[in-house]
Amino acid sequence: MADWNAYYPKEDDEVEQEEGEESVGDYKSSGRDSLVFLVDASKEMFIKGEDGEPSNFDMTMQCVRSVYTSKIISSDKDLIALVFYGTEQSKNPRNTFKHVYVYHDLDSPGAQRVQNIDSLRGEEGAQLAAETMGSGQTSLGDALWCCYNLYSDIKLRLSHKRLMIFTCRDDPHGGDSTRDIRARTKAADLKGTGVVIDLMHLKKPGGFDVSCFFCDIVSPPEDERELGLQLEPCGKLEDLKNRVRAKEMKKRVQSRLTFSLGDGMNIAVGVYLLVKTATKPQAVRLYAETNEPVRTKTRLFHTQNGSLLLPSDTKRAQVYGKKQIVMEKGEVDEIKKFDDPGLVLIGFKPMDCLKLHHHIRPSLFIYPEEEQVTGSSCVFTALLQKCSERNVFALCKYTSKLNTPPRFVALIPQREVLDSSQVQAAPAGFHAIYLPYADDKRTLDVHDCPTASDEQVDKMKQIVHKLRFRYRSDAFENPVLQQHYRNLEALALDMCAPEAIEDFTMPKVKMMDDRLGPLVQEFKDLVYPPNYNPESKTAAKRKQADAEGAVDKKPKVEISEDELRAHVAKGTLSKLTVPVLKDACKHFGVRTTGTKKAELIEALLAQLN
Amino acid sequence: LSALVLCMDVGFSMSNSGPGQELAFEQAKRVIQKFIQRQVFAESKDELGLVLFGTDHTKNPLAEDGQYQNISIYRHLMMPDFELLEEIEHQLQPGSQHADWLDALVVCMDLLQKETVGKKYERLNIALLTDLNTLACADQLDVIIGNLKKAGITLQFFLPFPVDADAEGDGGGDGAGPQNPPPGGKGLSREQKQGLEMVKQVMTSLDDEDGLDEVHTFSEAVKKLSIFKPIERRPMAWPCQLTIGSSLSIRIIGYKAVCEEKFKKSWAVVEAESHQKDDVKRETVFCLNDDNETEVEKEKTIQGFQYGSDIVPFSKVDQEQMKYKSDGKSFAVLGFTKQETSAIFLNRNDTMIYCHAGVALSSLIHALDRLKMVAIVRYVYDRRSNPQVGAAFPCIKQKYECLLYVQLPYMEDLRQFTFPSLENNKKFSPSEAQLSAVDALISSMMLVKEGEDGEKEDIFKVNSIPNPQFQRLFQCLHHRCVNPGTPLPPVEPWLKRMLDCPQAVSACCYDFLKEMKRCFPVKEVLQKKEQKTSAVVFGKNDEPEAKKLKLDEQDKFSLGEISEGNVTSVGSVNPAKDFHTLIQQKTISFEQACEQLTHRIEQLLGNRRTEYYMKTITCVQAFREQAVKTSNAELFNNYMQSLKKRVPDWNLQEFWGLLAQDALTLISKDEVESSSVSKQEANQFLLFEENVEAAAGPTPEDGGDVDDLVCAPTDVKIPCALDN
Repeated sequence: MADWNAYYPKEDDEVEQEEGEESVGDYKSSGRDSLVFLVDASKEMFIKGEDGEPSNFDMTMQCVRSVYTSKIISSDKDLIALVFYGTEQSKNPRNTFKHVYVYHDLDSPGAQRVQNIDSLRGEEGAQLAAETMGSGQTSLGDALWCCYNLYSDIKLRLSHKRLMIFTCRDDPHGGDSTRDIRARTKAADLKGTGVVIDLMHLKKPGGFDVSCFFCDIVSPPEDERELGLQLEPCGKLEDLKNRVRAKEMKKRVQSRLTFSLGDGMNIAVGVYLLVKTATKPQAVRLYAETNEPVRTKTRLFHTQNGSLLLPSDTKRAQVYGKKQIVMEKGEVDEIKKFDDPGLVLIGFKPMDCLKLHHHIRPSLFIYPEEEQVTGSSCVFTALLQKCSERNVFALCKYTSKLNTPPRFVALIPQREVLDSSQVQAAPAGFHAIYLPYADDKRTLDVHDCPTASDEQVDKMKQIVHKLRFRYRSDAFENPVLQQHYRNLEALALDMCAPEAIEDFTMPKVKMMDDRLGPLVQEFKDLVYPPNYNPESKTAAKRKQADAEGAVDKKPKVEISEDELRAHVAKGTLSKLTVPVLKDACKHFGVRTTGTKKAELIEALLAQLN
Repeated sequence: LSALVLCMDVGFSMSNSGPGQELAFEQAKRVIQKFIQRQVFAESKDELGLVLFGTDHTKNPLAEDGQYQNISIYRHLMMPDFELLEEIEHQLQPGSQHADWLDALVVCMDLLQKETVGKKYERLNIALLTDLNTLACADQLDVIIGNLKKAGITLQFFLPFPVDADAEGDGGGDGAGPQNPPPGGKGLSREQKQGLEMVKQVMTSLDDEDGLDEVHTFSEAVKKLSIFKPIERRPMAWPCQLTIGSSLSIRIIGYKAVCEEKFKKSWAVVEAESHQKDDVKRETVFCLNDDNETEVEKEKTIQGFQYGSDIVPFSKVDQEQMKYKSDGKSFAVLGFTKQETSAIFLNRNDTMIYCHAGVALSSLIHALDRLKMVAIVRYVYDRRSNPQVGAAFPCIKQKYECLLYVQLPYMEDLRQFTFPSLENNKKFSPSEAQLSAVDALISSMMLVKEGEDGEKEDIFKVNSIPNPQFQRLFQCLHHRCVNPGTPLPPVEPWLKRMLDCPQAVSACCYDFLKEMKRCFPVKEVLQKKEQKTSAVVFGKNDEPEAKKLKLDEQDKFSLGEISEGNVTSVGSVNPAKDFHTLIQQKTISFEQACEQLTHRIEQLLGNRRTEYYMKTITCVQAFREQAVKTSNAELFNNYMQSLKKRVPDWNLQEFWGLLAQDALTLISKDEVESSSVSKQEANQFLLFEENVEAAAGPTPEDGGDVDDLVCAPTDVKIPCALDN
């Protein structure tokens, strides 16, 4: 079983793998992302929908909360701010703007902020909002100016700046053209400093007319097709969440590489990760007295003279066949080098050559980089189109970084998919699937299995039919992660117990049983002999094994000196069992503190050689 | 555990072959080396002996009365090690005698039998490497075969030519390289033909069906042995219950089918001179984030986690108690869904195969297959492991049927990026001509070809390529061990070839690639800014660094020249020194020299690494020194101010901290009269972090010029670094 365990490391030793090429978000080099929620707090926002539907304000708060919590998990260094406009009260850094209420300054979200937002939700939330902020005059220009200041007060390097306006009023200034113009100027200022402004327009009786004001405020769409403004206003929370999520996350390119088709025909592509296993964050060490984080410093010393060892004072070594082989650190790196980073086309294969199990590691996503090599997109698109039409994939050799050995990837064409509301469900590009080498495959012995009869299969088909559901890739939250963050949240907020999580990975047994009804028994009657209990047998077997184990316990074995010396000479000491080795140690008066096999052997060798 | 005796012919004929052919001796030696290398690196416990025949001397226990002559036991049964490899590399020489290979076989059998007494072996094997050029005495053949069978010893032959070399036709040559005699038996001597007959007789009487499969050629053996499997892993069975609802469970056994093999042995750090691991002591200390880096004891630290901006103390004990606990082993069906909805490219890591000899699972597999559906399951390996959600696909093969499980991502793992549309973008949509050029290229580069008999042949099977990382590592380790003190060898050509586009494809796609190049105008954009991203800088850094080393050496020798005035510009090796020299020489103006120096500073800072920062500091120091000397404060002060503005954008906080440590601040009036900077301003100039709060002053009408605010702090502490 050790084999399996090795693969599923215990939670505490989740150490980043050496080949941690999937580590994204190196903030040092790329800066942080930032996001400002600019929310309309006018009376209209608080009007409840028909049939008890939540108000636009309530919906926005839920959406903001989900962004906060997901940011904490996925990228806790990103900055978020929450600003209300059209309020009665004013609160902003220098209190220079009336009717703008900075609820949260640009900062990384924490537990307190999540709690603050929670208090703004629902009936009481509306109440609280009315008390603290109220609804008053609107000047979007002032609000945007205030946001501009929020950005310019940040001394950190920001890589991506985004501002989202949540409103249900398409004409916020009620026709006051001075204030309209002022808002347009300030929006232009913001856009000038690289801030992308998005509109999350909400349901409004009579329809939301983007063209009457907001079309001049928001940033132009990234590509020609997406004339973003034709979007319907969001009526449902799910839609709003999706729309926000699609915008909120900045695509971070993993690396930019050359894709060589051969004979000097090179284009540039970007490598992205669309799936990355989210893991618990690394624990930090804190000084117990003040709870402030401490830094760890690791140094190498010379054991003999205590002097500090520089990297150049050390070498790397491996022991094989009783011999230590020493190399320079540089040589160890050099060994891993085969090619320069890049993708090299080997050829094409029909899709049916790619088996489901030909897959290791999460896949990558490849998209052209027109900025580096002009014409890349055109070549890429042609390749994508033709591969998709001919149902083939491209086989490539992939070297991700310098001093990294190559792996082969299958580039699977993916055409763009849009969902019913014209939002991109899957982008166009190639999925790069890591293929296993000969070493990665394991040989399996397969046995002949009896094949089920048509009657049995049909019964199972009924069962399968009863339990159909629509799988959505975002339907399952990782219960381990969720629990961890709930625990942290509880501790951070001094709650007495963490909020219970819903474990979506658990089967809904009751519901399944109800749906299946008598089918299960009918199926069992068809496939199992009467009184067969598939669960009982393993237990019986284990008992038997235990019994055998007891008998098998060997009496103490002793080993003669000659035999031992023979083992030493041949280097086969390691074949002996630990009890025998311990005995031998006793016999020769070898004192060992260790109980491990290697230690025992070492001690014996020292004595006998 | 198994025992193997390698039995190699080193006789006269082995080192005698036609012109231009590689000696059979060398080939056989390589087979042996590759084999032993593989055993050593696999850290296999199998024992190995080596018997040579055709040697000039005789060393075996059976040698009596002129029998069993010229056969020597080179190494008794024991675990192979590098000593053996070294000996083979340097000492194994061709002999000038010849010996009967059947006699040698008997010696090997004797060795195996005597030295395995009292221990259990799963397998006893003898591998005979010979060119069969010595006539063997067949009298004892039946006895030998009988004894082999009785002792359960298996036999392998390695010959320079294929086993059917004497047969008619040309089919026998596969796997045989050009160095082998041509098929058809023409090249074989009478002795070889006769020997081959005996080999066949022995092998078929040991196993009449597959016996001849164990007769290999040298070249094919080298190829096969090169493919190194680090550890032959036996797949571990995982018995569990597949459950559907509360009352239907099906016994299953899981096996891991694909798993990325990693190099498990880590490199030990040893002292450079003594090569002793024990001479290196690693020390980890914890220190507070204050100016003095106060060290704290490990016992006084506790574990915590970051929750957004909050740091939450969370002890290991609490964590253990509050963490998610799974209810142990499970493979529970959550429901069924259409195959295409769980897109396969989203899956992760590993695949498992589930086999079970029972009709219950078989019904499920067939039901899913017919409905084109998959089961979505919750999978937990055991009590201690985290639950996964995955898809179980039906897989029906001629020989077996099974469920294939692949892990699916959790919601937290997904990144929903949107990309600009490609195909609907007129700028990028390819023309008909371009599309047909791509079409032709794809046709010319198909790796799966349909043969005449309708069989598809895959000429580039990735899953039969050995992981080149292991191959290369072991090649280098072997080299370093056997030839210490010499540089590492290049990648072996066969490995390189294996990783490249097959010749058959690269030859025929050439014209189509030309056409592609003609059709698609592609142009590289030179980006200045791109140079600054760390990946590029690091990537390109390696070369200059190597060069720098060389230059450094030259520097030492040419110090005299420098003082004589050979410096013409501020170089990258020792910019500070060059700068000083230039100023002294006065060959260029002070301004020009400063410009060159600041240019170097910018370059160094671009690396954003501590080693470079130190060098940069010396540059700044030199700049300041000369500026004070020449009473030219303005140039230095202006530059420092401009540098400071770039600190946040360039992420130079660390560097700035170093400047502060060395108190390399603006030149004040006190030092150079012409300076417009007061002493106090100079002292405060290096403050940075503390200023963030202070910057929140009144908003200027123009929207807030950050840099102005930072330069005129109102109330800030002066760090002790400046107190002196």
